[in-house]
Amino acid sequence: MSTTAIRTEQSYVLDEPYYEPVANEIEVFAAAYNNQLPILLKGPTGCGKTRFIEYMAWYLKRPMVTVACHDDLTASDLIGRYLVRGGETVWVDGPLTSAVRQGSICYLDEVVEARKDTSVVIHPLCDDRRLLPIEKLGELLSAPPEFCLAISYNPGYQSVLKDLKQSTRQRFVALEFGYPSAETEQIIIEKESGVDAGTARQLIKFGNMTRNLKGSGLDEGASTRLLVNAGKLIASGIAPVAATDAAIAQALTDDEDMLQAVHELSRSIF
Amino acid sequence: MSEEPRQNLLNTLRIRKDLEKFTAGALLRHPQVDAVIERIAALEPRDQQVVYAWAELVGRANPELAAHFVARAPAAFAQMDRDGVEDWIDQVMHTFDNRGLGFAVDAVEGVDEFARDYASRHVRCGFDDASGFLRHFVRGLGGRELRVVTDQSTFTDTESLYLPDAVNLFPEPEQNFTLYKLTAVHLWAQTWFGTWRYQVVERLLRQYDDDAMMAVFNRLECLRLEACIERELPGLAREFAVFGHIDAAADALWAAWRDDAAALLDPGATAEDTLDLVEAFLERPLPPFKPFQSDMFAGRVRQALFARIEREKAAFQRAMQDLRESQDGPEQDGEGDASEKQMVEIQMGDEDAGDGGEIKFQVTVDGETVAVPEHLRDLMGSIMQDFGEIPDEHMEPSERGEYSDDLLPQSGDGAADDDLDPDAVGTFTYREWDCVRQRFREDFCTLRELGVPPGDPGFVEATLEKHRGLLKSIKRSFEAVLGESRLQRRQSDGDDIDLDAVIEAYTDMVNGREMSEYLYTRYRNQERSIAVMFMVDMSGSTLGWVNDAERESLVLLCEALEMLGDRYAIFGFSGRTNKRCEVYRIKDFEDSYSKDVRERISGIRPKAYTRMGVAIRHLGQLLQHTRARTKLLITLSDGRPEDYGGYKGKYGIEDTRHALLELKQGGIHAFCVTIDNEAQEYLPHMYGPANFAVIDEVEKLPYKVADIYRRLTT
Repeated sequence: MSTTAIRTEQSYVLDEPYYEPVANEIEVFAAAYNNQLPILLKGPTGCGKTRFIEYMAWYLKRPMVTVACHDDLTASDLIGRYLVRGGETVWVDGPLTSAVRQGSICYLDEVVEARKDTSVVIHPLCDDRRLLPIEKLGELLSAPPEFCLAISYNPGYQSVLKDLKQSTRQRFVALEFGYPSAETEQIIIEKESGVDAGTARQLIKFGNMTRNLKGSGLDEGASTRLLVNAGKLIASGIAPVAATDAAIAQALTDDEDMLQAVHELSRSIF
Repeated sequence: MSEEPRQNLLNTLRIRKDLEKFTAGALLRHPQVDAVIERIAALEPRDQQVVYAWAELVGRANPELAAHFVARAPAAFAQMDRDGVEDWIDQVMHTFDNRGLGFAVDAVEGVDEFARDYASRHVRCGFDDASGFLRHFVRGLGGRELRVVTDQSTFTDTESLYLPDAVNLFPEPEQNFTLYKLTAVHLWAQTWFGTWRYQVVERLLRQYDDDAMMAVFNRLECLRLEACIERELPGLAREFAVFGHIDAAADALWAAWRDDAAALLDPGATAEDTLDLVEAFLERPLPPFKPFQSDMFAGRVRQALFARIEREKAAFQRAMQDLRESQDGPEQDGEGDASEKQMVEIQMGDEDAGDGGEIKFQVTVDGETVAVPEHLRDLMGSIMQDFGEIPDEHMEPSERGEYSDDLLPQSGDGAADDDLDPDAVGTFTYREWDCVRQRFREDFCTLRELGVPPGDPGFVEATLEKHRGLLKSIKRSFEAVLGESRLQRRQSDGDDIDLDAVIEAYTDMVNGREMSEYLYTRYRNQERSIAVMFMVDMSGSTLGWVNDAERESLVLLCEALEMLGDRYAIFGFSGRTNKRCEVYRIKDFEDSYSKDVRERISGIRPKAYTRMGVAIRHLGQLLQHTRARTKLLITLSDGRPEDYGGYKGKYGIEDTRHALLELKQGGIHAFCVTIDNEAQEYLPHMYGPANFAVIDEVEKLPYKVADIYRRLTT
């Protein structure tokens, strides 16, 4: 039987991604990696989880595979499957299997979205066994020390159907991500979007105003990503209020009163 | 004759002929028919089209009325936009249909009055138009949550913003809206930039409590606040500058005041500096109020302020105590008073950092920085709004506040005659977690399951009628949940071939393994296997609105749940002491949503106390024995757990938390919907950070509960 490797999203991160550390997350991740512990990234959307993983892949000089999980993602999508070619069957590795084979970082983004059966493959990989059973091949892959599994999870969703099970979460070293402090956020916005310091400060002030509204009409305040997006529009010559309307207000809500409130908050600053 | 007048003449002739036709000649009897035609000819073509269209329509009903309409149409267009004119003619036709020609002609002739009314309706900015927006807006600006309400006077007591019914000062609706917004912002600024700090209110009431001084203080503060807003919120400052304009004389007076009170414009100026200046300005002529400026009632502020200070001080001390204890670690158990040795310090951030309504601070326990929970952050923010700092006496741990957590040893008391016999039918015993002893008290609580006497059968009908619109939208959103059909893979039978499965089966076959028979895909609504238990707080504190809102929520929820087909049960809970815990069966999982159930819902009445732990344990058991993939316990509550005989404060919270943890281990999800504004203090601890919702207004409960349920289960 012959196996053929196919190209996945797997790749080395060649250029240093821009990442501004918030606390000691780089050291913690590196230590977990060196101890072959899997890592869970918790935090609201747009606070830099994915960017952090990219940075760590670069930092650790390992290739990485990202799998955006969706509700139709099954275990065999991760492990791999047989295909038929010219009357013969050919096994094709899934992203997780190829990551294990090559000792890469495998990042399962928004893992709670995936089908429950994925936990079957995640569990044995995440404790000290570090094994990936491939039933169809009758193989038991042992993960090399370089392999690392990282998953992300947003605890803010209030759906009981989308909760991370204790048995899963307790296998991971958890890193919690929040919004960065105002100083850090300012540096990030300036560097990422190219606006001047004054505009960045105004954007952060606006961001904090929307975060005040979390729980009183908004599910989430403006994330750093949204602030950066608005900054980019401003840097391209869009008027600030129009930029925050398009990049932030409309992204946060459809409620008319709320849209108007966010619009007026932006107008009150710019 | 040159081209243009000739064209005009032709136009007039044509219009006269057309309108003559529509009104069956009635128009020609009008005394000033020529003038009318002239004016119609002068209208814009699109307006003319409107006149034509309506003249023909009205003419069919009554030519005489059409003639009246045509004669008054130019006047209508002169005063209103096209929508207004159509509203007017609508009203005329309505009058004609219902009351006959005479009244309809009156309605036509009443066009001037209609136009005035139309203008005021479309120009003014009313409370209802703006309040939804303002709530969000003011919350976003920063600081403690302020209620937005309407009142005869416009002022703030630092808990609420009291706003006028409507603003009607300008001809343009946008301008009136802006003025309304600025009025609210100006009140918000008083609470945010320290007009009503404790120190100021004290001095104000002691030394400056008369109308003349108050009037001066109000104007000087206005200057200071404008300067603050200009520094922090330049966009709003531009609008304040435009709307602050009155007339030349008043503007000059304001300018003179501003020049002489220049010290108040400095970034460091506080309301105390304003007070220092009051006497110097006492003899000067007062500038008139700016349009957005409003009254100040120091007495009302004082009332709200003092009540809040007491409340928040107690809550803060409690939170500090928790912080000390959580840093203690379990290993240095009890013996020496650990809290004595620990230093809790709070460092303030730079106040002028200008960071969008966030006060910065850092809390350290024994020199180590600790994470500040969200509710404590809000609390400290609110305290600092009142004091500008956290006062030293707040930091003293010894003084216990109103909700003292004195952990009374739980007396197994109440050995009265009416104690429940634990062996009786429908009686259960449960354990309770004692956080003082750190162990369970086995068989400590005795619980009875009781029925609810049926209440007014009309209540359900009335509720359905009252919330008709809401129910429709709830049903629609629930339908969307049901309608989510999805592709199911690997079915034994179906609409299409599941290619992945077929390939897999083929490879299995080639490799000599057994072939799967699940090779099809089909679309089907996903089966919902959800059982939900609603646990309704029937404690005495729900008397009144809360009880009504709870019952209304349940009615709406039942209607929606019937549609979804989820299995659900509703139980109330209350009781008094550990020996008399009670749950009230309103609907069990097996009951259908019958007339009896409806009457029981309407029969829900407030009873006694809230011993939550035992109710959760009992209802959790019922839920546990139901078959469903997802099990959910939703509590509707109005406050923290509390019962007679020591079941309050930390003891009650810890027992409830324990009961919820037991549920969680059994795979049951718990969620709490509460209307207690202080819930942030304890609910995250009990239910976990994302498992509760605080509803700020009771009236919103019926809407929110259904919405939350939908979100939870999709």
